[in-house]
Amino acid sequence: MPTFSSWLLIAAAAAAHGYLVWHRLLAYLRYLQQEGYEHIRFLRWTHARSLSDPAFWLSITGAWLYPRWPTAVTMGVVVAMVLLARAQPDPRRSGKITLKMTWRARRVQAIAFLIATAIWVGLATVLVGVAAGPMLLASVIVYAVIPFVLVAANTCLRPYERHIQRQYEAEAVRRVADLQPFVIGITGSYGKSSSKAILAHILQFHGPTLAAAGSINTLMGVTRHIREALVPGHVFMVVEMGAFQTGSIARLCQLTPPSAALITAVGDMHLERFGSLDAIVRAKGELAAALPPDGLLVVNADSPGALRIAQNTRGRRILLYGETSTEDLDTRLEQVEFSTTGTAFVLRTRNDVYRCTTPLLGRPIVLNLAGAFTLACAVGVDPAVAVAAITTLRPVSNRLEVVKESGVTWIRDAYNSNQAGFRAALEVVAALPVARRFIATPGVIELGAEQFAVNRTLAREAAAVCDTALVVADTNREAFLTGYRDAGCEDRLVSVPSRAAAFRWLRETVREGDAVILENDLPDLYEPAGVFWKTVSRG
Amino acid sequence: MSPVKRTVAVLFGGRSLEHDVSVVSGLQILHAIDPGAYSPMPVYIDHDGRWWIGDELWHEACFKGGGPDRSGLTEVNLSTGFGRSDLMSVDERPRLVAHRRHVDVFVPVLHGTFGEDGCIQGLLELSGCAYVGCGVTASALGMNKRLTKVLAAQAGVPVLPGVSCARSVLDRDRGWLERLSQEVDDAFGWPVIVKPCNLGSSAGVSVATSSEELASGVMKVFEYDLEALIEPFIRHRVEVNVAVAGLEDPVASVTEMPVTLQESPLTFGEKYKRQGRKSVGSTAGMAGALRVLDPQDLPADMRADAQRYAISVFSTLGCEGISRIDFLIDADKNDLYFNEINTLPGSMAFYLWSAAPHYWTITELLSRLILRAERMQAIRHGLRRRPTADLSLLG
Repeated sequence: MPTFSSWLLIAAAAAAHGYLVWHRLLAYLRYLQQEGYEHIRFLRWTHARSLSDPAFWLSITGAWLYPRWPTAVTMGVVVAMVLLARAQPDPRRSGKITLKMTWRARRVQAIAFLIATAIWVGLATVLVGVAAGPMLLASVIVYAVIPFVLVAANTCLRPYERHIQRQYEAEAVRRVADLQPFVIGITGSYGKSSSKAILAHILQFHGPTLAAAGSINTLMGVTRHIREALVPGHVFMVVEMGAFQTGSIARLCQLTPPSAALITAVGDMHLERFGSLDAIVRAKGELAAALPPDGLLVVNADSPGALRIAQNTRGRRILLYGETSTEDLDTRLEQVEFSTTGTAFVLRTRNDVYRCTTPLLGRPIVLNLAGAFTLACAVGVDPAVAVAAITTLRPVSNRLEVVKESGVTWIRDAYNSNQAGFRAALEVVAALPVARRFIATPGVIELGAEQFAVNRTLAREAAAVCDTALVVADTNREAFLTGYRDAGCEDRLVSVPSRAAAFRWLRETVREGDAVILENDLPDLYEPAGVFWKTVSRG
Repeated sequence: MSPVKRTVAVLFGGRSLEHDVSVVSGLQILHAIDPGAYSPMPVYIDHDGRWWIGDELWHEACFKGGGPDRSGLTEVNLSTGFGRSDLMSVDERPRLVAHRRHVDVFVPVLHGTFGEDGCIQGLLELSGCAYVGCGVTASALGMNKRLTKVLAAQAGVPVLPGVSCARSVLDRDRGWLERLSQEVDDAFGWPVIVKPCNLGSSAGVSVATSSEELASGVMKVFEYDLEALIEPFIRHRVEVNVAVAGLEDPVASVTEMPVTLQESPLTFGEKYKRQGRKSVGSTAGMAGALRVLDPQDLPADMRADAQRYAISVFSTLGCEGISRIDFLIDADKNDLYFNEINTLPGSMAFYLWSAAPHYWTITELLSRLILRAERMQAIRHGLRRRPTADLSLLG
């Protein structure tokens, strides 16, 4: 029969454990929230992180030492747990992206705490009499599975969250109906975000324009953005619409009924998700179908898939733009010239010719610009204002962004991940008047069976333009080697194990007058801030 | 028994493009306040406009990266009760006793929007706090380059001609770009300098040699401001700055010539980065190699004119504290023009007081300004604000 003092010890251990678990849940919750409460991405981040949690090792050590000095160990662990909780940075206040204690976050944390407590109490009860130190053993398990506990809590709350989401959606629909902004929908296999940013930049000089930063393109994301940012003064609203499956754009169009639409390109990206190009054309075509009878449809005629949507559409005002298309275009892109300060080009419309310059680089981006220009002018923007506006565009960070550093031109294109983007970067660097050209890249990925062949071709194309290529990491090394062998210049390919190694090599090698492309390398989303320990004041 | 030291709160950071400059300036001022006479206290305003206090804020290092770690700081609000001048904790966690810090004098070291334009001064005024520097009217006027020019010209100070273009032209008819270009042509011709009318820094400033570049420059301004100001660009220009301190009578400092590139306007990056990172609290770093104090190659009468005009602008606008008045010299014609006034100059332009006739250290100067702020506040407090019997309608 346990004595009073042993009950006291059990209570203290339970309280200390609960206190620390509460803190740890908060620490992980920050990342679950950052990942939009998506399990896969969250778990990919947490990986085996819970096994490096000092609380996990504290419990293991405690459980191991427990048989020798049960009371002393329990008391020591209680104190250590409280100290660990105190030593953890508060994710609500520290770090660059803080944890926002929304009601959803509170709900997830509370449910997760209940689950963690149930596991702990259950395990400890089962282990009594079976093993020494049942509470500490239970703690070991709980700290190891905390990320999964959060996932479980989130799963339990799913039906409720879905209910709330529907309420939010209804609210957003009402808001759009009340405020009646002129909605412009943008879809396409690529170029959506860039077109949206350019169009919003031009339109803002014509009327207050709402467009989400980044690439919010889901029902949930757009709903949230409307609720947070749409205000009575807004004249235009530019909505990026992602097609994840047949019907997803149609649903988005119910939320934000478009008066105008821009289709940037329809290609065979996400082919496996849709099954056929026809299915993709149908999915993207939902945007054109949602337009009112007098609606405006602007289409990139260079993309055969997009052109098919235009051809299938009846009774709307259709404008075509492009560069290489043989169609009778409303806006034709011509005379594209790249320099280190940006791109000069000509836009030929039915009535006029506009000479333009922009600080942005890359043929796909300039083509997006032509689309945005066409749409903006069609909804009433003065072409002279549009031409002036595109001179003040700023490159999106890491999307063909030129940074000059002591005479070296760095072309940062880390966010690019497709082969079209890769080629666009090569084209830009080929046109620049520089001494030597370098490229550092891990190649392109997620191409399934074609990955080797695509990277091999890209390597050959890189060899034709660049003096030296650095292939980073193992993923596409063989493909690059083969490509360079095809080109007969293996000696101009350098293989490096990591991004850091690539930078070391480049820093030692490049000189004034050189240009370097940093292609397709996703920088860490996460800051190196402490999860378990407070970091020492920087500086 | 020694008297209780009065708390002097230095406000820095803020919701403006010049947030970082303000942090550097603010820390310099904070470290320069006489700790023997006052109890200085940092108050950091972050990018979202939230106010924070805490000891960590004394160190420049904590502002590196993503800004100071909020977990060691306390968020505060200025109490709205008139004349209280208390910073109240707005901590979400329940506390038995509300955290409250009384502040005797505020020293706003906030540059640009919301800090130099009368906004923060309005808040301090509403709360009845004593504060260093210009009041609401002078701050707001000083921020508007077009209005300052009008007032300076009225006071007989030479100014460059200018054409202004409000963002509302975008809502009106087409063809305004051509008309603006024509107006510039008629008024002074090319090249021109295009700048935001209401911004303290050099952000959004560009030079245009053609109507296309003018259009681009005006668009750039409209991303920052509701009004663009277009002036002739002086090719061979020399900048001359003078600081004025509003003590019993306004006093002008010596002139300085910041060394800049002659061909291009001072851009934001140039303006602040070229000076190099200054060590906090050191007075030597500021008077670095990139400026010439009391330039002897400048004709004495021009220096005297600059000082005279500076006081004139300072008085016309009704400034307080320390303002820096910037002039331009057209080197081809030897003409001096008033360019702009900074009612809250970087580092309070204290380096300008290190040469004859005023050898004031920053500490000395701050003590004088604090005394002046307290005196001004006492005067304002003494003004009649309650309805007198004849104005009372409610009995």
